[in-house]
Amino acid sequence: MKKKWSIEPYLWLLPAMVLFAVFTFYPFLRTCYMSLHIVNTMGEIKRFVGLENYFYILKDKNFIQSIINTFVYVIISVPIANILGLILALLANKKRKLSRIYEVLFSLPMAMSMSVSAIIFQLMYNPSFGVINYITGLDINWLNDERYAMLAISIISIWMSAGYGFLFMLSAVRNIPEEIIESAELEGAGPLQKCRYIYIPLTSSTMFFLICTSLASSMMMTALVNVLTEGGPFGSTQTIIYYMYNQFAVGGNYTNAFPAAVIGFLLSAAVMGISFLFEKRGVYYQ
Amino acid sequence: MKRDIKDSVYQLAMILIGIVMVFPILYALSLSFMRPDSILSSQPKLISKDFYFQNYVKEVTTTLLGRYTVNSFIVAGISSLFRLLIASMAAFAFAFFEFPLKKVLFALTLSTLMIPPDVLVVTNYITVSNMGLLNTYAGMCTVYLVSAMNIFLFRQHFLSFSKDLKEAAHIDGCGNVRFYTRILIPTSKPIMVTVFISSFISVWNQYLWPMVITNRDEMRTVQVGVAMLKFPEGTAYGPLMAGAVIALLPTVLLFILFQKKIVGGMLTGSVKG
Repeated sequence: MKKKWSIEPYLWLLPAMVLFAVFTFYPFLRTCYMSLHIVNTMGEIKRFVGLENYFYILKDKNFIQSIINTFVYVIISVPIANILGLILALLANKKRKLSRIYEVLFSLPMAMSMSVSAIIFQLMYNPSFGVINYITGLDINWLNDERYAMLAISIISIWMSAGYGFLFMLSAVRNIPEEIIESAELEGAGPLQKCRYIYIPLTSSTMFFLICTSLASSMMMTALVNVLTEGGPFGSTQTIIYYMYNQFAVGGNYTNAFPAAVIGFLLSAAVMGISFLFEKRGVYYQ
Repeated sequence: MKRDIKDSVYQLAMILIGIVMVFPILYALSLSFMRPDSILSSQPKLISKDFYFQNYVKEVTTTLLGRYTVNSFIVAGISSLFRLLIASMAAFAFAFFEFPLKKVLFALTLSTLMIPPDVLVVTNYITVSNMGLLNTYAGMCTVYLVSAMNIFLFRQHFLSFSKDLKEAAHIDGCGNVRFYTRILIPTSKPIMVTVFISSFISVWNQYLWPMVITNRDEMRTVQVGVAMLKFPEGTAYGPLMAGAVIALLPTVLLFILFQKKIVGGMLTGSVKG
């Protein structure tokens, strides 16, 4: 008679769980715990101060600025990237002879890293010999003008995420049953009407997934800022996580870094929670 | 006949849009072969007749770019291999066993997807530094060794096997370990390729953690190194773009070759239908 209980499955799970515990759960809990203390530059706890650290950084104009910047970035980049993905997916919907080629092209930005995209765009944004000003005829000093720097960074992010969104939306759009489209066409529906009444509702669950995940990752953005602007000019591109990085890696100030990380996480969770409210209203599930 | 022409025009238009989409990559590629005076002219040229390999030569010989690339290969490669092993083991447990706490542990695994990794950087830095692993490959790999998405992917795949298969193996005297190594893994090659490639791309492209965990230049990965490239005579754009191309080439090539597999893996279980 076999034993009903065996230790074996736990052994198979052990490496994964140990890694999660050490590098995900423990740091997360520790970050929350440490955020309630004054911590010295060696990472040692000095004393408990409760929520005082939070009040302290919330009074820091730099931190408030970083929160605002992050929201500006999120509001610009998330909708545009995903709508662009949807448009590209609608365009690429029908499988044709060459469609594999442009499907790969549309999604290729996904393979790019933040830092390489940053240095390529940095050159493109160069006011004197960069391509962007040359082609558009504008004369903007993109990365050094506090009015445009965040926009410039958002554009890079939109470029990188549109490919990802395109891929998911393409699959969603192609999953719509043929009969629905055909019967709509029989009834004389034009492209705009098909969009409004068929494509958008029937892909809304995927769109929601994309918006949710891109909100979460955008709230935490820092790599582009690290490489391009280091928070400047005049703090206009500092994001929440950049603030955290700056506090701990540059200033050795763990006491400010931890609450910043926690606030970043809470805001990100809140933003995702708000998007779930829209899910009830806007998303249509078959 | 008319339809065919319309169709072809449409496809060409799509390809043009595709070229616009990948323009930054093409731009870097083009500039990496240009002479300095072509790049710095106030009339930016997009293509020039130069085929100036010097940029690449300068890049590789005067900077540590070669070393950075090797570092990236090592970190991305090792992490991906570990991910394959650890994720498939965990998924094996979730897919083929029943045990108390199974649901709880699975929920915990999924919950790691909700925690943004950058938030954990500070504490992980302290942990890894206390382990004495600053500036080491091991230190860099630690946070990348397991991924809940990979566990999820493997589990989906394993669940498609019939449970009877394991029973049959048992009856034939095959223990669990042998079942795993002789039967499960060899038949999961496609998904292993998918997991390995997507992990490799993901870890190769990482920036914040490798930057934080290394302060010795020769240990830096290519992402961090390329962003920090400075030449004594000021920013040399040609070599810089050559560096960018070297940094992006592996992942872009892998993506183009394996796009279908990567996408297939991504879409399983995350999109309904």
